[in-house]
Amino acid sequence: MAKREPSINTENFTAVQLMELDSCSRCGECVDWCPTYDASGKNPGLAPRDKILRWREYMNKSYGLRAKLFGPKEIPEEEIEQFKNDVYGCTTCGMCATVCESAINTVELWESMRANLVKRGNGPYGKQGAFLKLIGEYKNPYMADNKDRTNWFPSDIKIEDKAEVLYFGGCTAELRQRKLALATARVLNKLGIKFTMLGEDEICCGSALIRTGQYYINDIAKINAQKNIDNIKAKGAKIVLYACAGCYRASKIDWPRLTGKELPFKVVHITEFLQDLIEQDKIKWEKSINKKVTYHDPCHLGRHVGVFEPPRAVLEAIPGIEFIEMERIEENQRCCGAGGGVKAGIPDLALGVASTRVEDALATSADILSSACPFCKRNLSDGRDAIGAKELEVEDVIVLTAEAMGIDLSDTPAE
Amino acid sequence: MAMEYFAGVTDALRLTFVQVMIMANLSIGIFIIGMYINIKKWGMGSTGYGQAPSKSILAFPKMLMYQMSEHAHVHNQSVLETFILDILFQRRILRRSPLRWFMHFTIFVGWMVLFVMSLMMFLVEMIHMVGEKAGIHSFPEFMNPEIFREILSVPNDIFSYILLVGIIIAIYRRLFVAKTREATIAYDSVLLIGLTVITISGFVADGIRTGRFWGFEMPIEWAPPMALFHVIISLLFCIAYIPFSKYIHMIAIPLALLANKGGE
Repeated sequence: MAKREPSINTENFTAVQLMELDSCSRCGECVDWCPTYDASGKNPGLAPRDKILRWREYMNKSYGLRAKLFGPKEIPEEEIEQFKNDVYGCTTCGMCATVCESAINTVELWESMRANLVKRGNGPYGKQGAFLKLIGEYKNPYMADNKDRTNWFPSDIKIEDKAEVLYFGGCTAELRQRKLALATARVLNKLGIKFTMLGEDEICCGSALIRTGQYYINDIAKINAQKNIDNIKAKGAKIVLYACAGCYRASKIDWPRLTGKELPFKVVHITEFLQDLIEQDKIKWEKSINKKVTYHDPCHLGRHVGVFEPPRAVLEAIPGIEFIEMERIEENQRCCGAGGGVKAGIPDLALGVASTRVEDALATSADILSSACPFCKRNLSDGRDAIGAKELEVEDVIVLTAEAMGIDLSDTPAE
Repeated sequence: MAMEYFAGVTDALRLTFVQVMIMANLSIGIFIIGMYINIKKWGMGSTGYGQAPSKSILAFPKMLMYQMSEHAHVHNQSVLETFILDILFQRRILRRSPLRWFMHFTIFVGWMVLFVMSLMMFLVEMIHMVGEKAGIHSFPEFMNPEIFREILSVPNDIFSYILLVGIIIAIYRRLFVAKTREATIAYDSVLLIGLTVITISGFVADGIRTGRFWGFEMPIEWAPPMALFHVIISLLFCIAYIPFSKYIHMIAIPLALLANKGGE
């Protein structure tokens, strides 16, 4: 009789990640803080602790002592399919990693589980399956002509052919939230910073593929990362600016990992760049924004990379702004709900998480809920609309900066 | 007075001494096999993100070393800081819940110190026994097992009670804190039951031998079998069972802390 094969395999897991499954002490902190578990009405399947427990059991059934002695124990296909659904019900916000007493790098663990399940034929989830085809074909996930990334910029925008500073716009800002891209370009112009952009040579940073476990298929994320790096190098850039937290995280952490090489340029978020200029007193404010503003830390900028202070420094420097913090901020911030492919795959869940975050903002009586990521802005705006909080404005830090610098953005073209 | 080995097992019970030695070696053997299976299981992973599974027993140590030497984006702290503040002081637990930290810290300190003291007692008894057989009588006075046991008597009591305090809090949480009780599974219970049985049997064995409270006025003849029970159950639970149960967290959590430089 042929020996039974294990129902699962260890593809896409590192050896340390497999060890981490055994290091969960089941304290339950992750369950208390998980935004999707909370927004789902406490669906036990979404609890991070239980995902670890289930995969550990799968590992033991497949490769543990009993499996060594008597052969692997079969795991029903429906069970694995349910596990897949649960592991995709996560925004990869990293809150569970922050509170984990065992220091398990949960975000990477969920991403490895997803990649494993994609390879096994279970993942990804729903519409996320289109990412690969869209990014492969269009170089962006919005099915837009890649020429439209920057060809809509009004004629006053000066983009150098080559420069030491490059602004990596990102698919969402260039193709869907153009006010943000326009604000960034005009702010840089007004500050006299000579910058260049990739234009139609820019390719999706790969965040959507990486977060949903599809990065290794046809090596598309790696190839795209390398092309972006080569194109950035060809532009002579030493500093690459990002106003999108997702692109920033992907470039800073994922690109070196995918390509196996250090980046030949410095990755800087626009708020870090602005903070530096504010400290040098190089920004001239022309308008006062007399409003109460609160700030939502994007997970990919904050918890994932540790950029907490620069966006706050920018907001606090803007004349007239009364800056007020929400209860959960910085490493304890509550996710907006958009990340990890949840916005595309499980929009209702994304909306539920966003609504809770908007309520956090409303509790501060702020007039503006700001963030530093177009994806957060999109989902927080949807959350605001869902709970009917029309009085709350949701706006990006760079747009507020532009307004305070007296920059007019009323000519932003429609998507 | 006859020389006592293993906390009360007398010269008359030489067979028991041999049995304990066999049991100790067996426990260590099971532990080594279990850890081999675990490291082999962990080695089913790769030695780098997105790489093919290595399926080598060296994959885990390689990946661990790689992560420990890699630059971390958020907390790039040193191994020493991780070891002292995160592994020994367990500050990640303290940040989340001071009560749970107190519970875990008392169990950790009590368990570790008692383990080390038991090991020291064992070594002194062994050295003394080998010395007697070899005709060496020039050991310092404190190396006499009876004197050494007296030296350890007070710290033994103190750390046993420290351990007991932690266990009582843990049992209270598992039984009376609804959220904890509802989340408890056999994986959690076995660990706590094992630890409780070991601790209580240790108190009782010592109580019978010394005639103190924990002996519950049981006859002194019961001291050796009780001590034997305590030693065997300790060896089985605290050594042999580690790789196959939640006790593995004693090894895996420090490794995870080191690999992730203290965590996010």
